[in-house]
Amino acid sequence: MTALEELTKLADTLTNPYIERWKEKGGKVIGYYCCYCPEEIIHAAGMLPYRMRATGSTSSELGDVYASSTTCTFCRHCLDQAMRGEYKFLDGLTTLHGCDHISRTFDAWRYGKVPTPYSPFYLRLLDIPFKIEALSLEWMRVQVDRFKRSLEEHFQVKITDEALRQSIKTYNEKRRLLKSLYELRKKEAPPITGAEALGIVIASTSMPVEEFNEQLKKMLDEVNGRDGFSDYSARLLLAGGELDDRAYIELIEELGGLVVTDALCVGLRQFWDLVDEDSEPIAALAKRYLERSISCPRMVDYQRRLKFISDLAKEFKVDGIIVQRLKMCDNWGCDSALIQRRSRKEGTPCLILEREYLMSAVGQMRTRVQAFLETIGR
Amino acid sequence: MIVAGCDVGSTTGKAVIMNDHTIASYTIMWCRPRPEETARIAINEVMEKVGLSSLEELDYIVGTGYGRLKIPFANENISEITCHGVGAHWLRNSVRTIIDIGGQDLKVIGLDDSGRVIDFVMNDKCAAGTGKFLENMARALGLTLEELSTISLEATNPAVITSQCSVFAESEVITLLNEGEEVANIANGIHASIASRLVTLVRRVGAKNDITIAGGCAKNAGLIDVLEKRLDTEIVRLPEDPQIIGAIGAALLATERLERSASSK
Repeated sequence: MTALEELTKLADTLTNPYIERWKEKGGKVIGYYCCYCPEEIIHAAGMLPYRMRATGSTSSELGDVYASSTTCTFCRHCLDQAMRGEYKFLDGLTTLHGCDHISRTFDAWRYGKVPTPYSPFYLRLLDIPFKIEALSLEWMRVQVDRFKRSLEEHFQVKITDEALRQSIKTYNEKRRLLKSLYELRKKEAPPITGAEALGIVIASTSMPVEEFNEQLKKMLDEVNGRDGFSDYSARLLLAGGELDDRAYIELIEELGGLVVTDALCVGLRQFWDLVDEDSEPIAALAKRYLERSISCPRMVDYQRRLKFISDLAKEFKVDGIIVQRLKMCDNWGCDSALIQRRSRKEGTPCLILEREYLMSAVGQMRTRVQAFLETIGR
Repeated sequence: MIVAGCDVGSTTGKAVIMNDHTIASYTIMWCRPRPEETARIAINEVMEKVGLSSLEELDYIVGTGYGRLKIPFANENISEITCHGVGAHWLRNSVRTIIDIGGQDLKVIGLDDSGRVIDFVMNDKCAAGTGKFLENMARALGLTLEELSTISLEATNPAVITSQCSVFAESEVITLLNEGEEVANIANGIHASIASRLVTLVRRVGAKNDITIAGGCAKNAGLIDVLEKRLDTEIVRLPEDPQIIGAIGAALLATERLERSASSK
């Protein structure tokens, strides 16, 4: 099996042999929901950070006992998986107020509605500011520090500055490697598809980072020798929120579009900025996670975010932008319209697609995407 | 140069044969369960009408519509959105907005001056505002689709149907019937509920004139009457059967493909 296959297949299952081996050795796994959770803190505590997804879910009936039809289907399926005990490999869970959907489904955990392997289960709601300014940066630093101390206290471990500095270095290496992968996608004939790239970023959140870095180095050597993809009709930027289903991008790519870059949660937004390795680690983490160059639509710095996406489109020479958003997602409901308005003004066609967490209405999606690609008519 | 466009929708199959930019024959049929079968029957019918006996006699075939991936003999498939744009613009080049109401979905397509699709919106996976909705409503009223269309024009005081959902709308219709409301007023209210949904979609793509309508529901005079009032503009009619606009567009694109490959040789 190639390193590319080894990595991308991790996206297709909830857990994987890396996590199983980790658990067998007595390792702990902490789930997190959003790219605002500093993975380095968990890593420096000797634990494995795992980005939450509901891969493999086929229904949400148990989740819907507590969530309603106005909650997004990502949150409902995650809660359903939790109710079924599918996350039994987790030793703790952390989230933040990304949106009401996440916070309210997290309540089901807080109120003891979810079966957990031990009790009281480690749960942490990070209080992340919505604005980027000096005061909120200081608050962010306090939050990162409290997160660190709560892990230390709950699991009786010590997170040293030395360990934090090492974790930052290791995660920065991961980020540099992923950035060099994205760099290859700028080529006229990119050596990987958008679906493969998504699989790789998902893998980076589902296995020990050291092993990921080794595999990714191997993979970069592999794809460097590969013939690039040149038989596409349009280069695309895919923006939007939570998407962890490779088949979704595969459908777009089967129709002739090639996703060459993205502004997705489990994508570029997960790894784009590095952490300063020279300053005090907690402050450096606070700065990187709060002031990231492309924020989540929960943050109010939308002008900066829109500019980043428009610059990204130019840098990767895209012919069109597709914004995918989950139904009921307020954050992306606003941002998708803003992105579309700006990109059209700049002469880049833009399509907004609504979706559910499980792929459905494939025929309608195919018609929309095909018609969009036909209007680009490269 | 003899080409065909084959539009396999969710409810009906349409095929058009064109000979050097002229429509030679067309057909409209109810769908069979399998799209391949619908396509095969439709193409055989149009070929028969012009005395063709073999698919090889057609120089190029473009498939479109919901079943476009399942048309075994098509040289290429193109989305029905592009095909409707091309077909409507060819028939009347003043058209800038097309409302396409099919059996199970509805689309509004915006064109630029050259007939290129610049924007489109579609309804979501639901029967609201589609042919399926009208079929259900007609059945609830004990009318045929034609009767539903014409009786609506006689309304004196249109009923208000607030539900967009075809299941809930049907129970509203039954409530109105139980209350003794006139059938004409109910029929008009049904059309108004679709029209109000269409107004939103038309405005969303810019509502540029001329606005035209295609698809099976374009034959519903009652619906068009209400829609024209709500949009406060005339809906221009195309000089061909509104159900075959997508198939015409497909045939035109087939012609274009041949012309392009001939000129590049």
